Amino acid sequence: MRSRNKHVAMVETPDALPADAAAAAAFEHDHVLSRHHFTPGEHPVVRIEHLNKAFDETQVLKDVNLDIWGGEVVVVLGPSGSGKSTMLRCINLLEKPTAGHILINDVEITGTAKTDVNKLREKLGMVFQSFNLFPHLTAKENVMIGQMKVLKKGKAEAEAEAIRQLDAVGLADRADFKPAQLSGGQQQRVAIARAVAMHPDVLLFDEPTSALDPELVRGVLDVMRDLAENGGMTMVVVTHEMGFARDVADRVVFMEDGVVVEQGLPENVFDHPVNERTAAFIGNIADA
Amino acid sequence: MRACGRALIVALTCTLLALGITFVAAPISAQAMTCDKATARPNEDGGSGVIGGETTRLTWEGTVESGEDVTKVTLTIPDDGTFDGSTTRVTVLDGLTRMSVEAETKTSGNTLEVDFSQAIPEGSLVRLEVTNMCFPVEGGDYAISGTYESQAGTSALPDSPSISVIANTPLQRAVTWLDGQSWVQAWNSNQFLGMFFKPQLLLTSFVSLFGGWLVCLVIVIVAYPIAILLGLAFAFMKMAKHKVVRAIAVTYINILRGTPLFLQIYIMFFGLPMVGVNIDNNVLGVIVMAVNSSAYLAEIFRAGIQSIPTGQYEAAASLGMNGAQTMVSIILPQTVRRVIPTVTSDFITSYKDTSLLSSVGVMELMMFSKNLTTVSGNITPYMAAAIYYLIVTLPLIKVVGIVERRMARSESGGGPRPKAKGSATPAADPSTPAMASVHCEATEDDGVHGVIGALTAPFRSASSVTPRHDEMGGVPDAL
Ligand SMILES: Nc1ncnc2c1ncn2[C@@H]1O[C@H](COP(=O)(O)OP(=O)(O)OP(=O)(O)O)[C@@H](O)[C@H]1O
Ligand SMILES: [Mg+2]
Repeated sequence: MRSRNKHVAMVETPDALPADAAAAAAFEHDHVLSRHHFTPGEHPVVRIEHLNKAFDETQVLKDVNLDIWGGEVVVVLGPSGSGKSTMLRCINLLEKPTAGHILINDVEITGTAKTDVNKLREKLGMVFQSFNLFPHLTAKENVMIGQMKVLKKGKAEAEAEAIRQLDAVGLADRADFKPAQLSGGQQQRVAIARAVAMHPDVLLFDEPTSALDPELVRGVLDVMRDLAENGGMTMVVVTHEMGFARDVADRVVFMEDGVVVEQGLPENVFDHPVNERTAAFIGNIADA
Repeated sequence: MRACGRALIVALTCTLLALGITFVAAPISAQAMTCDKATARPNEDGGSGVIGGETTRLTWEGTVESGEDVTKVTLTIPDDGTFDGSTTRVTVLDGLTRMSVEAETKTSGNTLEVDFSQAIPEGSLVRLEVTNMCFPVEGGDYAISGTYESQAGTSALPDSPSISVIANTPLQRAVTWLDGQSWVQAWNSNQFLGMFFKPQLLLTSFVSLFGGWLVCLVIVIVAYPIAILLGLAFAFMKMAKHKVVRAIAVTYINILRGTPLFLQIYIMFFGLPMVGVNIDNNVLGVIVMAVNSSAYLAEIFRAGIQSIPTGQYEAAASLGMNGAQTMVSIILPQTVRRVIPTVTSDFITSYKDTSLLSSVGVMELMMFSKNLTTVSGNITPYMAAAIYYLIVTLPLIKVVGIVERRMARSESGGGPRPKAKGSATPAADPSTPAMASVHCEATEDDGVHGVIGALTAPFRSASSVTPRHDEMGGVPDAL
């Protein structure tokens, strides 16, 4: 895809690779970097190739390449302003990439027509730092609305699923509460239930615990850990929770200045970072 | 409605100007017995009117012409009047000498028979004073008719001059009662109270203004839903992608908001007939009010929609909802909640502004009260109008306050948390300090400060249109 934004310097990127060749190359690259159990001939769920994103004159993402495999948990680390959120938001097209390719299940999503965007987003759940629950709806209704409006499920079916998902995040007893009546941690767990109820292929988390009081973080992380370990959910998690990254992540990606600087197994990135900026960042976090 | 209003004004005029009895010149006739006079004694307490259905004294005078002598006179008043229970005093004057005449009277309903023991000679004046008789309750101008008997047999009496009788309504009875109260007299003797709050006039004004009040209500109640739909349409147009559509909306909104409603009323009411468009006054009033309000509502709705944080759109989008679904299920329901106080305030303004329509002859509250004040020379009808406006506005002002308070509680998470585990510390909620102050103000509204709170509420509501990004969707990104 080529940028048509006249304010942005054109970035020339090659066309997306054919699926099999891309999968083979991705496997070659990733199999030593991730705890993911690769199966022969497996294709990544998300392929990010030469992703560029600019806001006006500032280039925020510079040639980002990343593949995410089914059931893999990828934790994205990096200092503030490094483009983590932007990358995540590009994956479900909340931001429009200026150049490069994003493929979901080998289907190119960059440059898709508007209706296809909505279809695509069904398959990509997102959990926001600020929860973004619908304040006029109860917890249960928050979880039901996407199922009913988008998946066209009946009310009873959506409700049953909502209760199931709220139960999974430990909030069955709060089903009829409005967001304003819930703590931040509870709200974030409802937001996770809302995303999971759509049965997405990939769940994107943008600093899900950053807005929470320390004592509320645990509950949310536990829910995410459960999703990863027992739910087999494919997750891309931007977070500063190093403990979570170390324990749960299959792969840690370190970004700086819109570039993926380093990626690998959590223990490698944390304990033996190759890049000095990664080392500095992890050192800072550890000191804090 | 108009005719009814007129009737009330007429009735009131009678009371106020105390035109109790009118004399109508009797036609000169060649009959043998004439009727010279018929009057009723005022029975209006403190006034000089004759009220139907209440006992009064009728004085009837007739003269026996030459060549006749009269043995019996029968008087008849219209159907609902009654002579039952009356007593009649008969006086016969022959020139200046009083004749002693015995008479026997018989009453049955609306007729009265006076049987003289001796024939009344020609040239004599017969005066009948009938006490404790009643005119018909419904009032009107009544003539006394009847017959007389002479040697020549029975002949009809000419109709008497008519007597104006005030309808005896519950209102009239109440006014009569008030007239008789000493505290009312004392009250009215105070120049200020008598001019601004004359109880009798307040009472009659309430009745007379009722129709005008209904006109105001109907105009604004019909106009407002139209204004809401138009306003919503222009709000969306102003937010449209298409430049021309936006320009149309901006022009419409700015022209209507940038010129006085009074001027818009004049342009429509005087302009349209000039180009041959004739629309009923009330309908045109509705149209002008609806169009004017729609411009303000468009801005309220636009501000309301734009005050919904982008996180809400993004959350809806990430679920796969399309634009229309997002608008209908997510954005508009939240907008409605947010704009209720401001829209209510605007409704109050519109309702009050219907008064401007009086200037172009719409028979609404202001028009009626102006007429009443002109007739009575008293300000009290205006005060009655003020009360009619307040009957609607004060509760609505109160509603605005209550809704705002509830919104502040539920939407910024400041409300009680059932079964709260004490997990949410105030520090977790970025809007807590602001919340707390709203809360204090709100609780002050109750009890003693209720009215003051109600009166200041609309000014407070002015801030509710301004986007409050941190209110919804929890914690803002920039912490
Ligand atoms: N809508 C926007 N318009 C202009 N610039 C933007 C926009 N969104 C992000 N940026 C810029 O892009 C850069 C990357 O932002 P991004 O939010 O992706 O960083 P981040 O890694 O998520 O940081 P943080 O850890 O603080 O969330 C920043 O310099 C930011 O100022
Ligand atoms: Mg971010």
